[in-house]
Amino acid sequence: MIFKLADIKGDVVRSADVAIIGCGAGGGPIARELASEGHSVVVIEEGAHFTRDDFSLNPAEAYMNLYRDAGQVITFGLPFILMPLGKTVGGTTTINSGTALRILHPILKKWHLNHGLSDITEDELNLIYAYLEEYLFVKRADPEVAGKVATTFLAGAEKLGLSCGWLPRNAKECEGFGSCAFGCPSGSKQSVDVSFVPDAVSLGADIYSCCRADEIKVSGGKASGIKGHFLDPRTEKPTGHKLDIDTQVVVLSAGAVYSPYFLLKQGIANSSGQVGKNLQIHPASSAIAVMDERMDAPKGIPQSSYVDEFQGEGIMLEGGTVPPEIHALALPLLGRRSAEAMTSYPNMGIFGGMVCESDSWGRIVKLPRRGYRPAILYSLRGRDVEKAKIATSLMAEIWFAAGAKKVFTPISGHYELTGPKDLARLERSSLRAGDMFAMSAYHPLGTCRMGGDPEWSVVRHTCETWDLANFYICDGSVLPSSPGVNPQLTIMAIAMRCAGFIDERLSSWGRA
Amino acid sequence: MRSLPRGQMRWLMEAYIAQPRDLPSIDVDSQSDFIEEYLKAGAPEFRLAFISCCLGLNLLSVLMKGKTFSRLGAEGQQELLNKCFNSRNPLLRGMTVLPGLAFLMSYYRRPEVAALLGFDAAALKAEAELRKVSRDRTLPSRGDAS
Repeated sequence: MIFKLADIKGDVVRSADVAIIGCGAGGGPIARELASEGHSVVVIEEGAHFTRDDFSLNPAEAYMNLYRDAGQVITFGLPFILMPLGKTVGGTTTINSGTALRILHPILKKWHLNHGLSDITEDELNLIYAYLEEYLFVKRADPEVAGKVATTFLAGAEKLGLSCGWLPRNAKECEGFGSCAFGCPSGSKQSVDVSFVPDAVSLGADIYSCCRADEIKVSGGKASGIKGHFLDPRTEKPTGHKLDIDTQVVVLSAGAVYSPYFLLKQGIANSSGQVGKNLQIHPASSAIAVMDERMDAPKGIPQSSYVDEFQGEGIMLEGGTVPPEIHALALPLLGRRSAEAMTSYPNMGIFGGMVCESDSWGRIVKLPRRGYRPAILYSLRGRDVEKAKIATSLMAEIWFAAGAKKVFTPISGHYELTGPKDLARLERSSLRAGDMFAMSAYHPLGTCRMGGDPEWSVVRHTCETWDLANFYICDGSVLPSSPGVNPQLTIMAIAMRCAGFIDERLSSWGRA
Repeated sequence: MRSLPRGQMRWLMEAYIAQPRDLPSIDVDSQSDFIEEYLKAGAPEFRLAFISCCLGLNLLSVLMKGKTFSRLGAEGQQELLNKCFNSRNPLLRGMTVLPGLAFLMSYYRRPEVAALLGFDAAALKAEAELRKVSRDRTLPSRGDAS
């Protein structure tokens, strides 16, 4: 069952075959897979559990209930980057846009050659992807419900002869309520809380929400359980009740920011010194168009279409509708100019462009006196600034081709483009990282990377740590680099694979 | 503990939001309450940065214009905000951007404001209630998928 805070009346002391910390794209699939093989599974999740009935389409409320630090997680560096992370049953899949893409072939080749991961074959991954796509109802976004912003932008891209199309999404019968990032109100999006979690629970798994892991228990060089405590996820105040589970296997799936932080705090699994390093993210820019006709945002699918013309150069455009309060924050205007522009909101469209193969690397570090919060160090380096500029100017060009009167960009000195002259000036400009205003970033990865060499990686290709037997890490942190696209499907595929190895291990003990 | 006194919130809020034409009036009290709640739910450094930026704007106002922000008048306030926002100095720009996140969100999140701009969350929610999707799919275990 799923235990909510109100269900916990005292300390929880129990045993199970497997304990999983975190219930997102990594933890959810592992829980379901292992439960389906008859193993007893306990999952603990720091965030609370919500259902579609709780989702009100109110972004501010969603930030406070579903996002870590109310959506205020920022990186330290230039520029400052807002990085939304989920903190709820379902993890970030509950608040993502549902884009479900497979890893790019050349990147998997790099994993083989540069990271010693040739055990992860394309054939094996493709089988798992195919299974996941069926299980999660993945199909291309329906142009009929995508919304006018997407159809207008794609028309502009087609006019320019750019490679573009409709994104595959894990959504069933999506009607385009424009609220993927704030919890899908119809239950259409097949996020982990809607798919893997209910299935895992029906197969006997127990999920404790509002429970923070404190420690991985170690005995004889092996992981042997977890300790944690229950807390109010919004105020972070402990309730006083503790959790103590003895298990045979422990899986850490707290995401690429909090998994390494947890390890650094406890001081385990880091003989390589790689824990927390190699952070990769997908920094994103945006371009907001003012059109003559109504765009009727945010009705539609928030992220339904793409332009992948420059994917080989690490740039992917995906978009885009957002509600007014997010739109007001994305507009590079304040005061009267913002107020004037916002009255044109019904005629505006927004599109996003992300640097999907980044040359910049960041780091997760543990600082004293910050509560339960790591510092995320990350600065955008030269080539990535250039990529962000190319993404922004490409989006502006597409919007103009689609008939935009004006395009707003987040680049200092180029906030408002009124036509080809302004666009050419942006294209010619030489930018510094600090010139990007209010960037956001998604998909943190790589901070507990897997690999074939224990000196350069934290986990093996099976996701078991090099240092501690029966201790696995499985979430975005183990991906050694960006898969070149939105990573949720690849994280799930690696999780399914990891579950297979854990099942083998548990079954072999059973046989013995 | 409040982030800032209500008076200071009022001047900044009115400058940042600048009462849009044909939209509901700024409601300093309810919006300030929301900002308090939003900052309380978030990271402590964000709250600290918000307060520091607001105080920093006042200091800048004194240094650049010889008057506190509240005494600049509407024109002077807009001029100062835009000057900082358009600066290529990321610190100056950040100082104006960060409070804007909270002030603008506090206004445009209000259902009566969003609805007038075409985002009627309650109507969408009601529509979603009528179109609930059920999974009803059982698949074989991973081993059988191959």
